[in-house]
Amino acid sequence: MIRLYGKVEQSVMDEKILQEAVEEQGPKEEAGQISKEEGISFNAVLQLRLEYKNILKIEHLWEFTSLTKLQLNNNLIQKIEGLANLTNIKWLDLSFNNIEKIEGLETLTKLEDLTFYNNRISCIENMDTLNNLTFFAIGNNCLGQLDNVIYLRRFKNLHTLNLAGNPLAQEANYKLFIAAYLSDLAYLDYRLLNGETKKQAFAKYQYAIEEIRHNELQTLKATEAEQKRQEELQQHKDAFVEYLNGSQLFDSMVAQDPEAQKLNQLPGVADLLLTFKPQLVGLCIQMFESGFAEQKLREAEVKAFLEVLQEAVREKQQRSAQLVSDFEKHRKKRILELKQVEDAAKQEAQVNQYMADIKTLCDSCLLLELQLVDQMEEIIKDFERNITDMIGSFIETVQGLYLFHTIGHSNLYYAPAPLCRDLENHLHEEIKDIAMATLEKVAKNEVEDDLPDDVRALFVDKETIMNAVGASHDSHMLRIDNREDKLVTRINAWIMNLIKKIQDEEVWRNRKCISEIQYFIQHLRNQLEEVLHHE
Amino acid sequence: MEILLEEKEDEGRDTEQKELIHQELLEVEKTVNINITSPEDTPFGWTKPVNLSECPSSYQHNSPQEKQLLVIADNFSSQYSHIFPNRKPLFLCPLNECGVKKFVSTSLRSTMLPYSGLYDWDNCASFVADHLVVQALDPPIEPPRRLISPTLLLQTQTGTCFDISGLLCSLLLGAGYDAYCVTGYAVREMCLLDQSREECPLLVGEVQVKVEGTSAEDERQVRRYAVKPPRELRSNFERAQQDLKQQEARAELLRRQQEAQRLQEELERPPPDPLQGQMLHCWVLVLAGKREIRDHFFIDPLTGKSYALGDKSFLGVEALWNQHNYWVNMQDCCHGCSDMEYNLGDTTMWESVLFTVTEKEEEEEEEEGWSEEPKPFEMPRSWVDTITLSKQDLERRWPGGSRSTQYRKAKLERFAPYLLPDGLVTRLTTYTDLECEEVDVVREWYQNRLDHLEERELQRASSVTVERFSPGCKLKLKTHSYVSLAPGTERRMDFHSKACPDGLLRRAESPGQMEETFDHRDDLLYSRHVFYARSPEGGSEEPGGRPLERVVERFHRDAAKAPREDVAERVFLFAEGSVEVTFHLEDDRIIPVRRSFVKPRVLPDGQRAESWRPGMVTSYQGDPHEDPPKNVYLYEMLTALMEEEEKVALQIKHSETQVREILATREREERNPELRISIYDTARNEKVQRYREDMIRAQEESQKQVKKEIDLLAPFLARLGDPQVLSPQQAERVLEDCLANQRMRMIEQDKILQARYEKETRALQHEQQLYQINQLNMSKEEEERYHAFCSETVFKIGVIKQRQSRHKEITPQKHLALKEKLIRDPRLAPHL
Repeated sequence: MIRLYGKVEQSVMDEKILQEAVEEQGPKEEAGQISKEEGISFNAVLQLRLEYKNILKIEHLWEFTSLTKLQLNNNLIQKIEGLANLTNIKWLDLSFNNIEKIEGLETLTKLEDLTFYNNRISCIENMDTLNNLTFFAIGNNCLGQLDNVIYLRRFKNLHTLNLAGNPLAQEANYKLFIAAYLSDLAYLDYRLLNGETKKQAFAKYQYAIEEIRHNELQTLKATEAEQKRQEELQQHKDAFVEYLNGSQLFDSMVAQDPEAQKLNQLPGVADLLLTFKPQLVGLCIQMFESGFAEQKLREAEVKAFLEVLQEAVREKQQRSAQLVSDFEKHRKKRILELKQVEDAAKQEAQVNQYMADIKTLCDSCLLLELQLVDQMEEIIKDFERNITDMIGSFIETVQGLYLFHTIGHSNLYYAPAPLCRDLENHLHEEIKDIAMATLEKVAKNEVEDDLPDDVRALFVDKETIMNAVGASHDSHMLRIDNREDKLVTRINAWIMNLIKKIQDEEVWRNRKCISEIQYFIQHLRNQLEEVLHHE
Repeated sequence: MEILLEEKEDEGRDTEQKELIHQELLEVEKTVNINITSPEDTPFGWTKPVNLSECPSSYQHNSPQEKQLLVIADNFSSQYSHIFPNRKPLFLCPLNECGVKKFVSTSLRSTMLPYSGLYDWDNCASFVADHLVVQALDPPIEPPRRLISPTLLLQTQTGTCFDISGLLCSLLLGAGYDAYCVTGYAVREMCLLDQSREECPLLVGEVQVKVEGTSAEDERQVRRYAVKPPRELRSNFERAQQDLKQQEARAELLRRQQEAQRLQEELERPPPDPLQGQMLHCWVLVLAGKREIRDHFFIDPLTGKSYALGDKSFLGVEALWNQHNYWVNMQDCCHGCSDMEYNLGDTTMWESVLFTVTEKEEEEEEEEGWSEEPKPFEMPRSWVDTITLSKQDLERRWPGGSRSTQYRKAKLERFAPYLLPDGLVTRLTTYTDLECEEVDVVREWYQNRLDHLEERELQRASSVTVERFSPGCKLKLKTHSYVSLAPGTERRMDFHSKACPDGLLRRAESPGQMEETFDHRDDLLYSRHVFYARSPEGGSEEPGGRPLERVVERFHRDAAKAPREDVAERVFLFAEGSVEVTFHLEDDRIIPVRRSFVKPRVLPDGQRAESWRPGMVTSYQGDPHEDPPKNVYLYEMLTALMEEEEKVALQIKHSETQVREILATREREERNPELRISIYDTARNEKVQRYREDMIRAQEESQKQVKKEIDLLAPFLARLGDPQVLSPQQAERVLEDCLANQRMRMIEQDKILQARYEKETRALQHEQQLYQINQLNMSKEEEERYHAFCSETVFKIGVIKQRQSRHKEITPQKHLALKEKLIRDPRLAPHL
């Protein structure tokens, strides 16, 4: 197993080796001749074989980005490195090397066929990203722990596994263990795992397998639940009403309030808060629901708009394509005719006619494009107006819920609902009253003894208590203001982004189209020139 | 005698009227060109000879009850003619085929035939209409003098509308419908079964289907956004003027069409009928209530079609009857039958011949237990024998297995399956003119064809034939339209693409071109269009195939490839030696990537004469920013295309041979059409029939063998060398031998029994001795076993003794029996 590499001459993977390999393995015969004259670019090579080259270190492979098959077997490689750019690779052969650790394969997610036969690997690891793995050979290595094989359970497509020649393969229950833990495996050490073996294996390891399955299921469920939660939150965020479908606003109000703890100790305040909370939560939920409904409307609007937009573009494309293909039909014949005409004057006339036709084609294509640009501009404006109106009405609705009823018309929507700020003001007044009453009591020394000292300290004079109550109120108001600001800013940013994106795309499309037309016209003219020049 | 006299009287009275009507009828016959079998030719117009003397006695005589009924009917009839002198005499007691007067109701024999195909009224009616030939009434305004029984009708397959209604009504009653025969007046076309003014039912169905197809369309959502159409720079005034002109032109066109239609209708209107409202007809009425029938309706027995009660074809009702009673209509029929009521219990509307009790009254009477009044007279049993119909008749359906019907601008011919050697079942000829002289389209439907041909349509104008095949056709053909079956002519073949390995859907040929369409192919090819070069000698068709000029192949988009690498169309220009490839369009582009290759010249020995040079390819790149493709890439593409070109040429050759093969097969099949016979069809499938016969024969033979007795003399005769004739000495000796042999066997049997007896006795004695010796030190189990053994052995000995005694008894008997048998044996008897 241990290679004596003192005697052989080590080689370095330099450009020369790579170039030679590429040329040798590239196209043959006439094609080879052509490609040699032209030079092969590394990034177009699909397969590369670098075996028996005594390579010590993997280097200079970053340019082979479209490589799908790489054979580095029978070298002196000690470390897997420099493969990060080969993202299209499907087949990697590193057998008969001196590798000790599996690493550096994270980016090779398309890998299907991986061979580490005859190396010095002692642990299967660092392969979490290789989801497409179907064939894995790691025979003749130093794997000692049978439990390590359980790692391979994550590869759902794994079909063939080779582990022969490892210390773990000597263990008595080696085959059954693997058949049990990797139940989807079809071939082990190049032999078919038949149903009988699998049944036996399952019978033997039933409890362990079931436990493992149960655990996996649990994790899966947990991740799914987490994903679902995230998705939901994202949905709420898209509707700009996240954290409004419960008591989160109230909780944050209480949490951020420095004096709340103390004030809550006052008699009657707790009861007040008890009535205040559901009212506030109710308002929040109302807002949440209206936000959701609005989002649905917005989505439908955007969808309808995009559909029409795409249809218009498609229609115009079809018409232009028709123009071009009509022109193309006769082009060849006309050029042939041009070639055959003997008379110079006649030819001149025909050339002029042809040029004129090219011009007409160009003009009609550009006209179509121009018309489309006009149409698009108009429709985008329409859309912008509509969507802005929608947003505006939504913001007004939300602000109507928040604000004190100074904005008259928004009250029309939710007139009976006491609004958030109104609610808070009301609460503030009540607390103030309680505070004043308590102050009087304290002054008269009629207070119950269970009032804690730090609370009692607030009641040294009227100013202190009023300050505390005021600070609490201000803090509450701040939370509400912040939430409102956040919503309005985000929604405005969203709409700006949306419109900008649509406009940018339109501009980009327009430019691309015009450049395409021009390029084509140029191509036609060049061809004509060539024909004339040739003669 | 009475009857004959009556008949003469009738004739005398009718002669004058008859003369008049006969003239009118002749006119009718002139105008309406149809074949009415004249009743003058044969006694009843029967085509088959019928032996009336074989009829059951009920056909030839009247029972006492029937006689009583005839008296009642006579009485009713005379009262009726007294009260309503203006109305026609009632059709009550016509003569039957044996010349005996029978009441009409007793001619109905409610019968259910054992065929599921005749259980529903529509199938039953159409079968009756198909199965029988109508004999017109003579004169058409008088009821027939004879009403033949349904059984005879089925034999002769010829009868008047009265006879046919009787049969249909009998079958419907048997199937559980509330059916009645109706006599009354109808329009001429119905009475004379003249359908030449009606649309053919096969054609009517088609028109309806087409209408349904077009109506279910056009549903568009209203959209919130729409692009404005580009501004049109045209004068509104001019447009308005143009619209005006167009409208006028359209109005003019419409007017002309209407005029033409009116003229057409005028032309088609039938000539006036001199006997309008007098032509007598008989049909069937089905009342609602039974067999889930919701509304009353009429059935015309001659066509088998149903009509609503208010249909204009029926002009009046005289009377109706079923197997229980006869009702005379008391309602006014001046304005057709639309206002008639069919509440038969109401005596102001319907006068019945027999007094009947409604079901309700019957129940009341039953409750009372007995009624003072005498029981009302009940309709006697039908005199008609059971109606039977053979399966063969059911299958042949039409008289002689075929019928031709004339419709408006169409002729429909129907044939029973397996009647014609080519499997034709229906032929519909449509004409362009009313006189049916110019053939438009001939459509033929086939059944049970081995080549799965279902339908053939020949359009006379273009002489195009379209053949349709059912799935399962060996050639995988779906339809085939052609002018002639010679190869190289214009044709179109549709295939079952799933059955063809190459997914071929259609192959259309026209002179110089062939277009193939494919479906569900792995390489996404969907069309291949071949253009042949014009051969210099013009029309010389050698089997090597015509030279190709160019081939255009089109492909669907392959989502797995990038659009600029996914070929959309390739054109092999064989004549020019070049290939043009067009790729699919990218999403937001209007000009596809194109490449055209000039093939390097190839020497006759297959070597290339030229090496690659970049000038061989001209391409339009599409994206100006992209690097031009490498020469290797282009070179490889060219090589691949050249290989493809060879394959395509081969493919085309293959297609051509396939076409020739198909045409040859079709021609062969057409020349000798074979019919498919189901293995369950024991009547027609010869193989199955033969197999069945073989089976029966084999069974019979095996039974015979079992029955054959064992020849006792055989071994002894064999000893003498099986002589043909025995001499007396030989006979004596054979007899002796045979008896001696039996005696020997008997003795042997006796010996065997004796030996068994002795053996058992010895065993018993032995056991007993052992028991005596060991009795004291024996365990309980051993003792039990001993007792069991003893009792068993004693039982065995008893049985053997019995057998011995019986053997002794039987032996002499057996001996005697054998001797007698041998003496009677035909071989020995003459000598003994």
